[in-house]
Amino acid sequence: MSLSFIHRSAMLCRGFRASLNLYDHTTRIPNTTIWLRTLCSSVGEANTRILQSTEEYKFVERLIPPSRVPIPPKHDGPSPSGWTPPSEVPPALPYMIRRSRMHNVPVYTDLTHGSRKTTLVRKVEGDIWALEKDVKEYLQQLTGKDLPTQVNEVTMTLRVKGHFDTELKKWLVEKGF
Amino acid sequence: MFRISVTVCGRGISKRLASSFSGEDALPSNLRIPSNLVDRARAERPPPPSDSSLPVLRRCDAAVPVHLSPVQTWVETLERRDSKQLGLVDLHPDVFAVPTRIDILHEVELWQRNFKRISRAHTKVRSEVRGGGKKPWRQKGSGKARHGSIRSPIWRGGGVSHGPRGPTSFYYMLPMRVRVQGLKIALSSKLAQDYLHVVDTLNIPTPDPQYLMDLIRYRHWGESVLIVDVGEELPENILQATESLKTVNVIPAIGLNVHSMLKHEVLVLTLEAVKFLENKLLWHDERFTLLYPFKLPYTDLP
Repeated sequence: MSLSFIHRSAMLCRGFRASLNLYDHTTRIPNTTIWLRTLCSSVGEANTRILQSTEEYKFVERLIPPSRVPIPPKHDGPSPSGWTPPSEVPPALPYMIRRSRMHNVPVYTDLTHGSRKTTLVRKVEGDIWALEKDVKEYLQQLTGKDLPTQVNEVTMTLRVKGHFDTELKKWLVEKGF
Repeated sequence: MFRISVTVCGRGISKRLASSFSGEDALPSNLRIPSNLVDRARAERPPPPSDSSLPVLRRCDAAVPVHLSPVQTWVETLERRDSKQLGLVDLHPDVFAVPTRIDILHEVELWQRNFKRISRAHTKVRSEVRGGGKKPWRQKGSGKARHGSIRSPIWRGGGVSHGPRGPTSFYYMLPMRVRVQGLKIALSSKLAQDYLHVVDTLNIPTPDPQYLMDLIRYRHWGESVLIVDVGEELPENILQATESLKTVNVIPAIGLNVHSMLKHEVLVLTLEAVKFLENKLLWHDERFTLLYPFKLPYTDLP
């Protein structure tokens, strides 16, 4: 009985080590295995079984990452970090601005030639010229200046002179995009 | 021949006069198709009646954005030449109704042509041409021009100074998302131009290529047809029928590419091919950027 207990514990140890891939052949040569090998050979071939278990593979599977961006959990209004989900019903405007793949508002700033500041609104669908008119009105109220804008219908983008990303993001979120 | 050229010139002048008289109605000259390439019967074929209630055989699997609605098209069969439509199918608007960017299509087409190109043109430079190590005659006093070797580029039989050098590769990769967008744009253009047909399966009654040609002629599909199905085992009949035909080709869905779609006039997809393409193409809209190559495991690859 003591022999079988030692045998079973040795099998468990071997199985555990194999599953965790501890390939330390050079550093550790435990005497127990050698002793057990002689023991097993002395006992007979009937007791030497290799147990294959795939239950420990869950430790590997939980490390494999997902490939898709997860859908954010439901929030009523802004989340603690300040992120606001888009409204359920798209606003009744002639244009639509989709969220980026990370669920953010697609307004970006750009700095070229060291001092040329522009703000870019991407992913505009529908009537871009209506959006341009609204953006110009809003920025006129904000700054009092008539800012130059560039509409690119092919790439569905709107470029405005100056850095207005925070203001435009807040404005678009208020609209419900 | 002179008479033909005169009549052609005359027609061209009359067309220009017509366009200037009629104002903005006439098409510009680069969009006008010559009359022998226009299939009148195709333009005049009657669409199926809109009041007939056909069942929707397939809805979109992925979530459609709230502000868009799925595009619909009919499902047909290849069983009989003159069968009616079986039903409707919903197509995802982010794959089959994207805004048409011809510049992306052009980029992807050029990439497909050039990334495989290896030009093996090679010329020998003056050091590689056999001979020419010795100075042909002395520098001064012979009365001839001064030369250092008989294989310099100004000599006959000499090396080429700036010629093609060895196998040159024109390999480059467009970003994955640009190539995916190209596929989406090609599918959308085919649907918008009425050149996309959805079919339930590719089972045809005979392996006779004439049956397929008759079917295409009868339904006024177009001149060249690209048939797409999913999976490695395609029905025997369609494989045999299209083997000898030059303008009708069958490919698996993983082999779909922009060049083949532009080369063939008509695109025929099966319902499984539509599902496969939507699955694969929509994944790119919501995926993270590459952490490690996609050949290695991820939990939820399409």
